[in-house]
Amino acid sequence: MQTGLQARMDRLFNRHGDGRAVCVAADHGYMSDVTPNVTKLRSITEAVIKGGADGVLLSPGQAMRLAPLFQGRDGPALIVRPDWMNMPRLGTSNVANAVPQRLLYHQKVITAEQALALGATAVTIYLFLGYNDKIETTGIEVGARFVSECHRVELPCIIEPIAYGGQVTGARLVDILTLGARMAVEIGADALKIPYTGDVDSFHRLCSVAGVPVLVLGGARSDNERDAAELVAEALEAGASGCLMGRNVTKSPDPEKMIRQLCLIAHEGWSVDRAMRPPDWEYLRLRAHPADCTGCNLCVTACVAHHDGGEYGMHLARLRIEPGQGVGQYKVMFCTLCKKCIDVCPNHALRWHPETGAVELLPELCEMCNKCVEVCPTKVIVHSDKGIQIGESKYLEWYPIVCDLCGGEPACARICPTGAIFVDQRKEIK
Amino acid sequence: MGVNSKAYRMREFIRPSDQRSLIVDTSAGLSLGPLPGLEDFSAAVIPLLPLADGIVTSPGQSRRLSGRTRGDAALLVRGDWTNALRGPDFPLPPETISRVPLLTPQEALDLGASALVVHFLLGHEEEIEAGCLRSTVQFALEGNRVGMPLIVDVQPIGPRVVLRNKAIELGVSYALEGGADGAAIPWPGEASLMTIMEMAAGMPILIKPSSLEAAKEELAQALVLGASGLWLGADLFARPDPADVVSRLRELVHQQNVPAPQA
Repeated sequence: MQTGLQARMDRLFNRHGDGRAVCVAADHGYMSDVTPNVTKLRSITEAVIKGGADGVLLSPGQAMRLAPLFQGRDGPALIVRPDWMNMPRLGTSNVANAVPQRLLYHQKVITAEQALALGATAVTIYLFLGYNDKIETTGIEVGARFVSECHRVELPCIIEPIAYGGQVTGARLVDILTLGARMAVEIGADALKIPYTGDVDSFHRLCSVAGVPVLVLGGARSDNERDAAELVAEALEAGASGCLMGRNVTKSPDPEKMIRQLCLIAHEGWSVDRAMRPPDWEYLRLRAHPADCTGCNLCVTACVAHHDGGEYGMHLARLRIEPGQGVGQYKVMFCTLCKKCIDVCPNHALRWHPETGAVELLPELCEMCNKCVEVCPTKVIVHSDKGIQIGESKYLEWYPIVCDLCGGEPACARICPTGAIFVDQRKEIK
Repeated sequence: MGVNSKAYRMREFIRPSDQRSLIVDTSAGLSLGPLPGLEDFSAAVIPLLPLADGIVTSPGQSRRLSGRTRGDAALLVRGDWTNALRGPDFPLPPETISRVPLLTPQEALDLGASALVVHFLLGHEEEIEAGCLRSTVQFALEGNRVGMPLIVDVQPIGPRVVLRNKAIELGVSYALEGGADGAAIPWPGEASLMTIMEMAAGMPILIKPSSLEAAKEELAQALVLGASGLWLGADLFARPDPADVVSRLRELVHQQNVPAPQA
């Protein structure tokens, strides 16, 4: 790859050294009717840059106007939209219906050299599939020429295949997108911006046949912000290199926060749950009011049922009730997160779970030394009934069962009828 | 970023002290021929030079405004031609709507213009709108290079316009995204103007009043919302005393009791 092209690809995809990019498409005012994300473009762009966006897609005019926001070594990559189309104003996709369009119109507006002069790190162009043969043919012809033009000035060209028109049906959508991805690469795309196909397997295939970095787009805004985060997480799992999200971010009540969450998912490998936790989120712990315990053992039953992995028995519960003679006489014994097991393990096979804050066993490190079982002051670490195969060469005849706080919603606390065992919060893991 | 040559030219027709302007557009003859009151161009327009902040002319008529002093209006040149302004009663009613560029920003610079003005036609065939967008972006990019401001004249006059005020918003959005430095828009109503002013984020917006009778009231509302002033059309010259009208409106545009828009 040419030096300039590689340098610009690095600026976009390698700001964090992980080959990934979280980008925002803020070019809607260039094509669609006026919506709040269009009227507040400057403040939204400032917010997403503050949130850590690796790139922002803008129209040529806004690229000129907002150029100062992209300056500096830490500034995000400017992605310029050199082409234009009227699809958002066609038929039912029209938002305001101010000036309805009848025919799809797609044109190149500026040259690669002009985009470079605007300070672009990359450009993004459309490739329409499914409208009619002429639009597809012209798209391929214009796209191929534009890619050559980009490569002459060493500017990465991201192609955005769009499945739109009468030839597109639900059953064909994935195939059309995969076809578009491959055709875009065949004409020289350096990266793709493409909708999610709906499942990890088909998107994995799309990414595989593309062989270039794939940025997933979000499409129409979902009312539930978690949907967009999950879409990105799934796309990353399938092999995407990041996202180029538009309305899901720009129409969000808090674009900065949303980009920060997407960055944590893409660059830090955080789960959606962890990334979307509020800032005041605290790790959990169990606590008890022994005076309220009736000794019903529902908590023990719920624990065993919740962790039913093919072996069943009260002896496998991660907590127990010590016998007593009546209400107030029972002792609820559960993991108090005292950390003694973690400290005593010579192989570091136990650790705090990074998301739940519970004790987590790493079976591949466990040597069945039994020290954790012995040291547990409440005796709630027990042996499993069955062994576990680790890879091809290691087999554990048993492993220690530790309380995992049911992933954040302990079944024992949920079921306890008297509230004798309940969830409390702890500030941090020490 | 400091003031560049484009910003200097903008200051020639948008008064730096209050960021307001009164522009008179005399370029309609380019497609409509000799309009009432504008038959003798020089005689009609030259009396307005000391009163207006800017005069829009066609490239050819710009020569009639030579010899302007520093107290006279700045020259803005119309950079394209269209037959879309013609109605069905016009001697040559348009069978198909056309729009062609006439000048580049460099050529406007050579004419001594302070800005280049282009139409943005909305509501006609897709190709017309696409052409307007292409011209806007290209003129803006070249204008940025040579220091020539671009003013987009939003014209939501095609038969496909369903919601006029929303179409005006769309036109301003396209002007902004295309890189324009200012926009002249028909009076869109108070609610839409609020949206437009928020979207414009400092880009000057000049209001073309619904009529000269309505100009005073619409101007007052527009100034409160942050618009930069008025853009008067050729109907001004059908009045018995255009200079008097301009003089009175000028006082309102530059009055001091309304907060000036953010530069």
